[in-house]
Amino acid sequence: MHPDEAGQAIDTILSSHSREREHLIPILQDIQERMSYLSPKALRMVADHLDLSENDVYGVATFYSQFRYHPPGRHRIKVCQGTACHVRGGGLVLDAIVRKIGISPGQTSADGGFSLERVACFGSCALPPVMVVDDKVYGRMSARKAEKLLEDLE
Amino acid sequence: MAEIHLTIDGRTVTVKAGATVLHAARQAGIPIPTICDHKDLNPYGACRMCIVEIEGVRGFPTSCTTPAAEGMQVRTRSPELETLRRRTLELMFSGHPNTCLVCPHREACESMRPMATKAGRTTRCGFCSNREECDLRNMALQAGGRDLNLPTLYAAHNLERDDPFMDRDYNLCILCARCWRICEKIHGKPAISIINRGRQARVGTAFHKSHVHSGCTFCGSCIDICPTGTLTDRFARWHGKADTRADSACILCPEGCSLTAHVKGGQLVATAMTAFEPDSSLCALGRFGYAQIVNAPTRLLRPTIRDNGESFSVDWDSALDAAAAGLSKHESALGILVSAAASREDRHLYHLLAQELGAKFAAIPATPAGTKPLLPKWVTGPKKSRSSALILSGDFLEDKHLAGLDFLLVIDGLPSPAQERADVLLPAALLSEAEGTFRTASGQIKDLARSSRAPGMARPEWEILWDLGQKLGLKSMAFDSLDHITAAVGEDPAPQAFADAPRHDVRTLPAFYRGHRTADLVPALEAFGLSATPRPLKQDVSIEGFQLLETRELAPNMHLLRIKAPQVAAHAKPGQFVILMAKETSERTPYTLADWDAEAGSITLILEEVGRSSRELALLKAGEVLAHVSGPLGKPFPVAKKGTVVLGGGCYGIGAILPLARALRQAGNHVLSVIEASSAYLLFWEEELRAVSDEVRVATKDGSRGAYGGVQEVFQQIVDQQPVDIFIAVGCTFMMRMVAELTKPWNVPTFVALNPIMVDGTGMCGACRVSIHGETKFACIDGPFFDAHGVDWDELACRKSAYAREEVEALPQAVDLSALMFPGAARPRCGCGR
Repeated sequence: MHPDEAGQAIDTILSSHSREREHLIPILQDIQERMSYLSPKALRMVADHLDLSENDVYGVATFYSQFRYHPPGRHRIKVCQGTACHVRGGGLVLDAIVRKIGISPGQTSADGGFSLERVACFGSCALPPVMVVDDKVYGRMSARKAEKLLEDLE
Repeated sequence: MAEIHLTIDGRTVTVKAGATVLHAARQAGIPIPTICDHKDLNPYGACRMCIVEIEGVRGFPTSCTTPAAEGMQVRTRSPELETLRRRTLELMFSGHPNTCLVCPHREACESMRPMATKAGRTTRCGFCSNREECDLRNMALQAGGRDLNLPTLYAAHNLERDDPFMDRDYNLCILCARCWRICEKIHGKPAISIINRGRQARVGTAFHKSHVHSGCTFCGSCIDICPTGTLTDRFARWHGKADTRADSACILCPEGCSLTAHVKGGQLVATAMTAFEPDSSLCALGRFGYAQIVNAPTRLLRPTIRDNGESFSVDWDSALDAAAAGLSKHESALGILVSAAASREDRHLYHLLAQELGAKFAAIPATPAGTKPLLPKWVTGPKKSRSSALILSGDFLEDKHLAGLDFLLVIDGLPSPAQERADVLLPAALLSEAEGTFRTASGQIKDLARSSRAPGMARPEWEILWDLGQKLGLKSMAFDSLDHITAAVGEDPAPQAFADAPRHDVRTLPAFYRGHRTADLVPALEAFGLSATPRPLKQDVSIEGFQLLETRELAPNMHLLRIKAPQVAAHAKPGQFVILMAKETSERTPYTLADWDAEAGSITLILEEVGRSSRELALLKAGEVLAHVSGPLGKPFPVAKKGTVVLGGGCYGIGAILPLARALRQAGNHVLSVIEASSAYLLFWEEELRAVSDEVRVATKDGSRGAYGGVQEVFQQIVDQQPVDIFIAVGCTFMMRMVAELTKPWNVPTFVALNPIMVDGTGMCGACRVSIHGETKFACIDGPFFDAHGVDWDELACRKSAYAREEVEALPQAVDLSALMFPGAARPRCGCGR
């Protein structure tokens, strides 16, 4: 999205919310839904709109794991680390993916191909360990299956 | 106002409505431990230490956030509360180095080490700049917690040393949020916030921007309210706790903000806000620049006169005589140019002098960055219209204005090009060194306190002018006292305020003080776009030096350096050392050889970051070149078969004992290596030592691994179990002394590697002089190993601290501007992140 266009889109979202600070999280959610991540510029505009410190806005946003600060990759990989997945080797699956694409959870690969997130639970606890790629759930994963899946995506 | 009656620990307490349970308890003199609470902050409830039990209330509410209510029954002590508080305290101290509470040697060590060591990372009390005024430690002692059962989990956050004025070490932070709360209280929109959640939670800025870009105005209130050593004033931090505080006012701009001078031993170490209130805020220059200006290493110290082109230092009387003679001779064509950043009394006396002598007079006002004050025509105009004699109190004139003057008297505290031409130069006291009064832009008259000693022979200007008036026989300048002068000033006009006060906007900081560029005196001001005097760019000298092959932070503060130095590696023997210089301009500093490889031509050193020189070395990157490596120096340790040898190593000494252990074992000895650290996370090279020793034992001062205590405790254990033929100890002076005192009654030969201040390392300078059995020895050529039982330890400790103040003043105050300009740029993590 062109920077001007992005600014306009954020302006539109901001104008649909009044300036009380309790709107902070709904605004952040709307922006993320529209822009797919929270950019420094977006946070600055939110801070101005609500007359808050940009640092406090960032502080609130980083408290919640739902917000991202980098554009997501073409493929969004989420790996479950919830209890059921944890005991069935969710950590090994995550490690394998980290090794494979060379980024840590919360990051997007340099070519913009993948972004990786760790998630606490998807509610698919009957299929551990679980990973989700582009909103499709893959159950009963293993390190090898995960690597294979990524290769197929590439 | 309505009153509330409640019962605390069985006592009836009456408080005003709105008071919290904590207030009520305090009012009744019932102590409740707390750390996030502060009298100038709103209740927050972060630290959970102030929990109480309240009848009818579920759980354990925090007393700081619970309003007192009528009839409330409160208990501040119970077994449950004690347990909960203890657990809270233990958790808090698992995230904050805690040897200051649990180390069994703290008191003895402190008596040997009166000043904290200027380490990079604060990992123990000896490395803590906050140790004399730690609210956290005081609270823990009050809560009765010297017995902590959780090990320290060092977070290994990067040190934040790129800020213009602050050093931040979030490895000490306990997240009490005092800094964030005071920032919000004073500035409305805080420049910092608590970011992330859970274990990742920390104080930071949006997108990890530098404070220069996060909206910070550098008032320093976060530093002054931080209960730990997390946030520190880089200039002040290692000077120790101020012994005197004096309220005064800043005269660097027309605002004239009130400030409190913090003085130690007559030296101004910091200036801070007088109260934690928005109206009391200071700008970066007032908070951080004041002390740096006053302590500038270039201060003028002695009256100087010029005769036949040569300058001489003279006593005050002669200098004033020369000044008076010069002035009388050139009375008719005299101009007086002074700075408005001066007391009313100084200004008045200059003005009187001008009136008496019929001289022209101008006071140059302070101006915000980006503007330059106008100079009067009688100094800048055509030559004919200029004054041919000048009194100059500051640095306002360029060479072209000064050419052709018949007489120049400079009264100033700081150097300037004009002084090269001055016939008489009189050193003046500055800022906190002179008393008087100051009129602010709002018209208020504020008192200026004289709180610190002027350097050398410098004197307050009003004293100088008073004396000068006497020498000139001017009756109108005869006053009885400073008060008399103050009374004579009368109704002087208020100076014109800056359009934007510097304390609200760093872009309007004054660029000049008495005509001197503030960025020359306070180098970090360049971060705000203030420029220093351009210096000729240094040519890149390509030094054919010694390449750094590898560098790693093995444990916090402990750096491994592997350096290409084939000559040293070819001749090195166990126990020898080298002297390093990071740059051509660095100080020479000795480091024990921890290992070497003659074939590869490399040497390995373990250095601990404890000051300027070791920091320069620690910050070098692999591939960079050291200017000098001299060595091997010192006598090798006399390796021979003696039987059972016990080696003790602490800090850098852990590295230093490795080659000794290897050689002694190869010579057929039974080698026991003992290593100590404050806590388990600070240990290193245990496996390496195991490979060259018959046995390795560990001691930690918090008991987190091995024996509780230091090497001396383990030495005792060993002696109780088996006969020992030699003891060798390498580490801090305190540790070696303790070992010496322990083994003396046993009559077992004990050797220590002494570490006095050393300069050339070849026996020429004598700086490393030590007394062994009453005989003078040089540690560089007679040592470093000596009979521990013959060492004059008091003399060694005294000589080692001879330059303590200079060592603190040598720490760099300039910052790497590129680190500020590219906020959030990925920086390499240190290797201590385990």
